[in-house]
Formats: sequence, C-alpha cells, structure tokens
Amino acid sequence: MKRIAAALACLLACSCGSGGKKQFFVAFSQANNAEPYRAAQNALMTKLWAQHPDVRLVISDAQQDNSRQIAQVETFIRQKPDLLIVAPNERAALTDVMGTAMERNIPVICLERDVLQPHYTTYIHSDNLEIGRNAGVFIVDYLKKKYGAPKGNIVAIRGLLGVEGEINRDKGARQVFDQYPGIKIVADPVADWVQARAKDRMTEVLRAQPRIDVVYGHNDPMAVGAWLAARELGVEREMIFVGVDGLPGEAGGIKKVMDGVLAATFVYPLCVDKAVEIGNRILHEPGFRPEREYVIDSTMVTPANAAALYAK
Amino acid sequence: MTLARRFPESLLALLGIIVIAIAISPVAADGARIFLQPGNLTDILRQISLIGIISLAMTFVILTAGIDLSVGSILALSTTIVAMALARQGRGIAAAILLAVAASAAVGAVNGLVIAFLRMQPFVVTLATMIGVRGLAKWLSNNENIDIGFGRDLAAQFAAAFRQKWVVIGSYVAAAAAFWTLLARTVFGRHVRAIGDNERAAEYAGLPIRATKIWVYGLSGLLSGFAGVLYAAENHQGNPNAGVAYELDAIAAVVIGGTRLSGGKGSISGTIIGTLFMGVLTNMLRLNNVDSNVEMMIKAVIIVLAVAAQRERKSK
Repeated sequence: MKRIAAALACLLACSCGSGGKKQFFVAFSQANNAEPYRAAQNALMTKLWAQHPDVRLVISDAQQDNSRQIAQVETFIRQKPDLLIVAPNERAALTDVMGTAMERNIPVICLERDVLQPHYTTYIHSDNLEIGRNAGVFIVDYLKKKYGAPKGNIVAIRGLLGVEGEINRDKGARQVFDQYPGIKIVADPVADWVQARAKDRMTEVLRAQPRIDVVYGHNDPMAVGAWLAARELGVEREMIFVGVDGLPGEAGGIKKVMDGVLAATFVYPLCVDKAVEIGNRILHEPGFRPEREYVIDSTMVTPANAAALYAK
Repeated sequence: MTLARRFPESLLALLGIIVIAIAISPVAADGARIFLQPGNLTDILRQISLIGIISLAMTFVILTAGIDLSVGSILALSTTIVAMALARQGRGIAAAILLAVAASAAVGAVNGLVIAFLRMQPFVVTLATMIGVRGLAKWLSNNENIDIGFGRDLAAQFAAAFRQKWVVIGSYVAAAAAFWTLLARTVFGRHVRAIGDNERAAEYAGLPIRATKIWVYGLSGLLSGFAGVLYAAENHQGNPNAGVAYELDAIAAVVIGGTRLSGGKGSISGTIIGTLFMGVLTNMLRLNNVDSNVEMMIKAVIIVLAVAAQRERKSK
C-alpha cells in the first residue's frame, strides 16, 4: 500500500515537474456535488483555473459527509498542494483538518461556510442574513404597491432545518416582516431545498389558505416547485414567487426570472471568482497577504436585469 | 381465501385514518372540509402515484423474499435520460420515453440476472446498483439538473402532457390493475408466491426460479423507470438526485399493506391500501400545519401501530 502511494506520489511529482516552468497544484475539497449551487461552483472553478496553464486543479466530492471530506482533505495534505480550497460541509467537523493543513504551510481558502477556529488564510463568503433582509424588503415593497399599505399573506418554503443558510434566509426576512403587523406568514412548510417536495407541500398550503400574496422560497428550486403547484390549480398569477440562489444556466434561477416564473431571485454568490483571483495572487505573488475575510455582495435579479445577467 | 382475510385488516387501518383526517380537517371559507374537497382527494392520489407505481413491483420482489433498494436511483436515471433525450438530443417524445424505460428495465434485469445466477443476496446486489446507477445518472448529466422549459418545443409538450393529474393517476390505476391481475390470475403470479414461500420446494417442483426472478427485478426496473418519466414531466426537469429514499417509502407501503418481508404472503390490494394510508396520513398532517419534525415522529408511531394491529388480528 505504501509502495503504491509512493509510486503515485512520484508520478504526480514527475507530471508536475515536466513542464520546465513551475507547475502549481490546486486542490479543491467540495462538500457535495449533488447540490446545483455546488455543481455551478465546480464548473466555474474548472473554467477559471483552466485559463492558467501552470495550474492543475483537482476537485474532490465529499457527498455531504463530514468524515468523507476530512479523509479527502487529509489525502490532499499528503500530496502537498500549493493551494487548498475547502468548501466545508459543516463548521465543526472540518476545523481540525484545516488546521493541520495550515500547520503544513499550505495556504487555505475557506469557501462559503466558515469553520469554528480561523484555520484558514482567508475566508470568502456571502451573507445569508443580508440576503434574507433584501428579500424581505423586496416583498414588503411589492405588498405596499399592491395594497397601498404594508399588508398581505406570505408563504415561506423552508430548506433543511438547522442549516445556516436556512436559518439566516428565514431570520433576515422575518426581521423585515416583523416591523409590519399587517404582514403575516400564513404557512411555512419544510421542503428540504427539494423542488419536488416543495410542489407537494405548496399544493396542501393552497388548499388550506384562501389568500396568498407572496411565496418566498429559501432557494429557487423550492420557489419553482411552489409555482408548479399554483399553476396546476390555475392560481399562479394571483401571487408572486421569490427565490434565492440565482444560479446561471438553463436550469438556474436567473432563467426562471426571465421566463416569468419568479418575480425575483437573490444571487447567492458562488464566491469562486474571488477565490480564484485571491488564489492566483497567493500562488504567483510571493509577498502577497490576503485579507482575513472577503464578503461578496448579493445581486437582486428581476425581469429588468435578468437577461443581461444570464448572458454573462 | 387469504386475500379475503387480509383485505379487511389493512382496509380497517385506512378507514380509521380517513375518519381521523375528516374529523380534524380544517374548514374552508364556504364551510366545507378541505380534506374532502375533490381537488384535495385527487391531490393525494397524484402525490402517491409515483411511490404507488414503484411499490407494485416492489410487492412482487418482496413476495419472492427479495428486496430492491435500487428503485430510487433507477428513477433518477430515467428522469435524466428522458430529459436529455428530449431537451438536448431532440428526440421524439415516444422515443425518449422508450429509451428511458428500456434502460431502466435493463438495469432491473441485470439485478435479476446477478441475483439468479450468482446466487447473491438481493440486498447486496441492489445496494450496489443503488450506488452505481446514482453515479451513472450524475455522470450522464454532469451533476446538473436538465431543464425542461415552458416553451412550445417537444420537451415542453412532453411535460405538459404527462404532468396532467388524470394521466398520472390513470397510469397508477392502469399499472395497479395490470399487476393485480398478474399476481392473482396468472401462473407467473403463482410462481412468484411459491418462490418466496419456500424456494427449495419450488425448485424441486421444477418452477422456473431464475427466469421468474429476472422478470420480477426487470419489472421493478421498468416501473421505476416509468415513474421517472412521470417525475421528469411533473417537475419539468431531469434530476440525477431525484428519488433519494424512495425505496424506503415503497417498502413501507408494501409492509403496511400486510405483505411479509420474509416473502410468500401478501397482495397488490394490500400494497395499494398501504400506499393510500401513507398518502392520507401525510396530507392530514400537512393540512393541519403540523410541525415537520413532529410529523416524522407521528408517522413513525402510526406505521408501527398499523402493522402491529394487523399482526394482532391475524394471530387470533
């Protein structure tokens, strides 16, 4: 077993050294390829690093399993990457192993979710609480326009309970709604981020609730699932649908805004552009010291700017 | 007849849950109970149809004392194939459906071949298939959902046609009728039962054990694939991550319907009742806005009670 590992290591070393110029090895430990958001991260990461011929990128998929991700990061550490990017599955679980990487002097970029101790060179993320607030403000503005006063009935479709994204997208919006006693959340079924499940849960809500003005899905697929349910009952024009994520591509939320399915979505930034930019400077500029933290702003996508964003 | 004896027991559980659902149903503005609205009742039927279709073949599998854990992955593969064929390769609707269902049936038949000829445990074989086919679906689609839009192209026409309530429910009813006939009225059905009851005796009696198993798992793949086609239409997408844990829902429906996991005893009518039971239960809890964590706990208790009630009555 050791011999095989040694042979592999030699092979890696040879393939890296053969270009003459210095070759860089960038390892990206992804939490779960199965989520569309993370699949989009991988795609953009691959595309952006491909523009740098001296960089070789390897992506591993932890399939939403903490111990699998720890094992994969440990394997990466053995290969001594020039840069390690980790999108942690959960905060507590990955803290230690990322510390180990730091001890071995491997620069670590922590992507999107943080860890308990600051075991990273830099942390690049967005702000779900802010996104929740932005969604809340958009919804309140819509209701003011519709009724001339801030009142109305909202259905919130919730993601997997207990996850940071779910908690803060919910909390941020509620902070805004709570200022207006006329605005009520009349139902908040849990659909675990899954479109098919959101459709079923929304069908029941539509049966039980006579009046719904706005559906706020904590991600786009759930908002689309709710729209499908409303369409089946022929009431999709009586309410608007707001989502979060705003992924690019055919199946993404930006396209759904263009199609008139969603009234708006809030881009949860992939954070990958910044990670590649900062990662590149770490690799190529010896004296470069990145900030401890970069917060990437969200963009609101409405029919006004959807086409332009989609084309990008 | 065993059928006549078992029928009323699970039926009683179903009637009980329906009475509760009616009793605690919220009331609409016009005073009608929401649970009893025709729209809500057909919602339930549509929502249980996919699991219902899968659990028909699962009943056959369990009757042979087997299990099929790969149904959810096969469903995902089917959604992926049908969506890719329509939206990316521009194939016709019939061709796309045929491709998806044939591939699914082939996967199921491979399950059966390995189980029959290598004499491996169905749990292990279909577990491997569950993992491998999920990988295949993700690999084919590059981890992406494949969008079926709302335009006028063939893919959108496919979705519009196959997501209609009566098409979905009708498919379930037709499949249920076919599988009920197959089990209760044909030689093949008797072979299925005989193998689960006592495989060695069936072997000595000269029954075609291998062929029957290959057919049973092939049918399981076929129905899972067909459910995948309906899933793709309903959700307007091919989704390589669809159908996770569907095998457990299907097995639960079969077991609640009174089919023994050890094989030999059980019926399609029982499975249909079990499927309806779960559908009514979910609908009842959701209409009353029951907290989703509490919902899981209530479901767990009710499943055990439903199966235990049948046991008790049977032992008398």
